[in-house]
Amino acid sequence: MTTDLTDREKALIHTKILEKYARAAVSPAGSFNYPTGVQGLRQLGYPEDWWQDFPPALLEAFCGVGNPFSLGPLQQGEAVLDIGCGAGFDVAVAAHLVGPEGRVVGLDISPDMITRAWGLSGSLPFRNLSFQIASAECLPFPARFFDVVASNGAFNLVIDKEKAAQEVLRVLTPGGRLHLADMVLVNPLPPERANRIDNWYQ
Amino acid sequence: MPGEALLALLEKAGFQPVKLAGYTGMKSSPYTEGALFSAAKPGLDLSREAGESSAARPEPAASPQPGGS
Repeated sequence: MTTDLTDREKALIHTKILEKYARAAVSPAGSFNYPTGVQGLRQLGYPEDWWQDFPPALLEAFCGVGNPFSLGPLQQGEAVLDIGCGAGFDVAVAAHLVGPEGRVVGLDISPDMITRAWGLSGSLPFRNLSFQIASAECLPFPARFFDVVASNGAFNLVIDKEKAAQEVLRVLTPGGRLHLADMVLVNPLPPERANRIDNWYQ
Repeated sequence: MPGEALLALLEKAGFQPVKLAGYTGMKSSPYTEGALFSAAKPGLDLSREAGESSAARPEPAASPQPGGS
């Protein structure tokens, strides 16, 4: 799954993902083969009253592949971690849903995305959110720190998914929930596409 | 990774139950589509958490905001 990659291949994948998301931090337009921005939000069924007051630039930056909050409600006061938060749209939604007594942390491996997220969050009315640069494979939090871990379109980019799953389990409280939207393989790759390194970042 | 493999990976890590709730229609290629998964950390499986620190949940160290704002 991941152990057959060499260290050089892992480094190349990491670099290429950072390059792709540095471009997407400026604008996701053209970087993805599915609808992004408001079109994506509407297609995925994010209720408009969740985001209608968000700044347009935050809406335009959305490039999720699903609505992880459709999997179950967030409760007021809960602590939420968003892995691969990008420009922070889902972090803002979670901050809205958990209210001022809750707290939300967005993580991303891309410094450009975290810079973008901090910048866009300044226009939001929430003070219960923060962002950090970190990888899902090494979450910088103690055990049992979050009630909910969400992720949207990022887990498929994690090289060591087993380690990441163990880390998510560690930081969740007992009974805590994982709400995951991710890109998965639904048809077999043709032989000429299988096992290609660039599958990771195209 | 197929959805079934991701479910198996989550289950192996210790999540229970795990569920593939459905597909989202977002396709990044003819071979890949967005999907929704839910999973939970068992509430009473203390053996898995042996050695984990518990108790207080300190605030995470805040990252400095770019631009100092």
